[in-house]
Amino acid sequence: MKFRESLVSAHHNYLVNQMLSPGFLLGDLNSKEDFWFLADIVPAGMNEPNIHGRIFDHHGHFVLEMGFNKITENPEGCVIEPLAGGFQIRHAGGEPLLRVHTVVFANGYLTRIQGKLYDPEGKTRVEPLLDGIQVFGKGTLALTRRQLFL
Amino acid sequence: MKMMQDKGWKGVWVFGDYRNYFQNRVTLQLISKGKELAAQLGTEVTVLVLGSQVHPYAMEYTAHGADAVMVVDHPSLENYQVETYVRIVSQLVESFKPEIFLAGATAFGREFFPRLAKRLNTGLSADCVALEIDAETGFLIQSTPAFGGELLADILTPKHRPQMATVHPGVFEERSHDPQATARMVYPEVDIHAEERVQLIRSKPDQSPKGGLEEAELVLVGGKGLGSKENFHMLFELARLLGGEVGATRPVILSGWTEESRLLGQTGKSVKPKVLITAGTSGAVQYTTGIQGAETVIAINRDPHAPIFKMADLGLVGDAKTVLSLLLEKLRKRL
Repeated sequence: MKFRESLVSAHHNYLVNQMLSPGFLLGDLNSKEDFWFLADIVPAGMNEPNIHGRIFDHHGHFVLEMGFNKITENPEGCVIEPLAGGFQIRHAGGEPLLRVHTVVFANGYLTRIQGKLYDPEGKTRVEPLLDGIQVFGKGTLALTRRQLFL
Repeated sequence: MKMMQDKGWKGVWVFGDYRNYFQNRVTLQLISKGKELAAQLGTEVTVLVLGSQVHPYAMEYTAHGADAVMVVDHPSLENYQVETYVRIVSQLVESFKPEIFLAGATAFGREFFPRLAKRLNTGLSADCVALEIDAETGFLIQSTPAFGGELLADILTPKHRPQMATVHPGVFEERSHDPQATARMVYPEVDIHAEERVQLIRSKPDQSPKGGLEEAELVLVGGKGLGSKENFHMLFELARLLGGEVGATRPVILSGWTEESRLLGQTGKSVKPKVLITAGTSGAVQYTTGIQGAETVIAINRDPHAPIFKMADLGLVGDAKTVLSLLLEKLRKRL
């Protein structure tokens, strides 16, 4: 029987490709120009997701860079808004770009990400899939250790 | 052991029975025992979870020691249907070949596991009170009350796999919750859809209080020796005054003196109170397997040779009804 395999954390997971994962990385974290997206591991004792990335639109135009759930470069004038249990980022025109929402369980947390993200070639790297996302291209879908620290 | 592992049967599986979780913690207890068994066999513990939106349970089982969690998550599995579950789980067992498969002896496990064992053409030891690995053969020794509870039988399944057993809630201790834990997640591509003969129209949760007996620090148990329903109901008044819960033996349930959810023992619940008062109970093994976890047992029975006194810390030889009446009278005056 075929099967898919991932990793699960007892404390916090993201939903990616309809699998639980403590954290995932798409692309090269150190790239200054290319697309990358990091949903980093949330250690026990913390309850907020940890989202970073360098995101492009479907034309391959650079839209924004973000780190630790905040926009750090914003040439297109996107807006970040808090939501109950997370946040969302909208384009300057109002259309949604990325939504991050954390569900609280009795003893843990699950973060669902929604959005359609592209690389500089306009190729789809992230798109919605049911209540999570499906990802494409080079990446690590089950991180075993935290990537970025404040 | 080696022979069966060479044939591909390897690993300890625990069925994730998350209905009535958090009150029902038998899956966590089986994960803990499964870890012990797996360590002896040089393998790992996998918890199998079927249902819809079962992420929190996968995480709970990880926190309590699962090495791997196998999940079949689909909206059509939201409601338990025994035929569907047997069909899916038998496919998984035949494909992944666990050598041991454990489930709680809950109402769910008692319906589901015998059917699964039949489908897999293997044995099943029901209502086990102990599990060990035989050091020589590597077989699972499944200890269960037999011959009307007069003795404990050690059962082996030497020729068929998996070795299947159901275990009472409360027999084993769960491991503490570890938020730092991680586990492998396995998502098998199993065929979920099939024409089922039974269709669920609606389900209604049981409104009776859950977890009271299993969590209570004081449990008062009545047996047929109390003589009547009215006498048995003195236990409820005592429980109210002392802050405890009431349990019953099988003959009491069969007499209709109280509801079946209060049944203790081999076919009922297991309790672990600090103090358990057992009145008018003879001490049959079918009953005492459910109270083995009690810290202190106080037994009241008119027969000084009643087996219940063998496990009692304090024994009172006398008519149970009379003793309870006197106790009630004293308490009413004092409280």
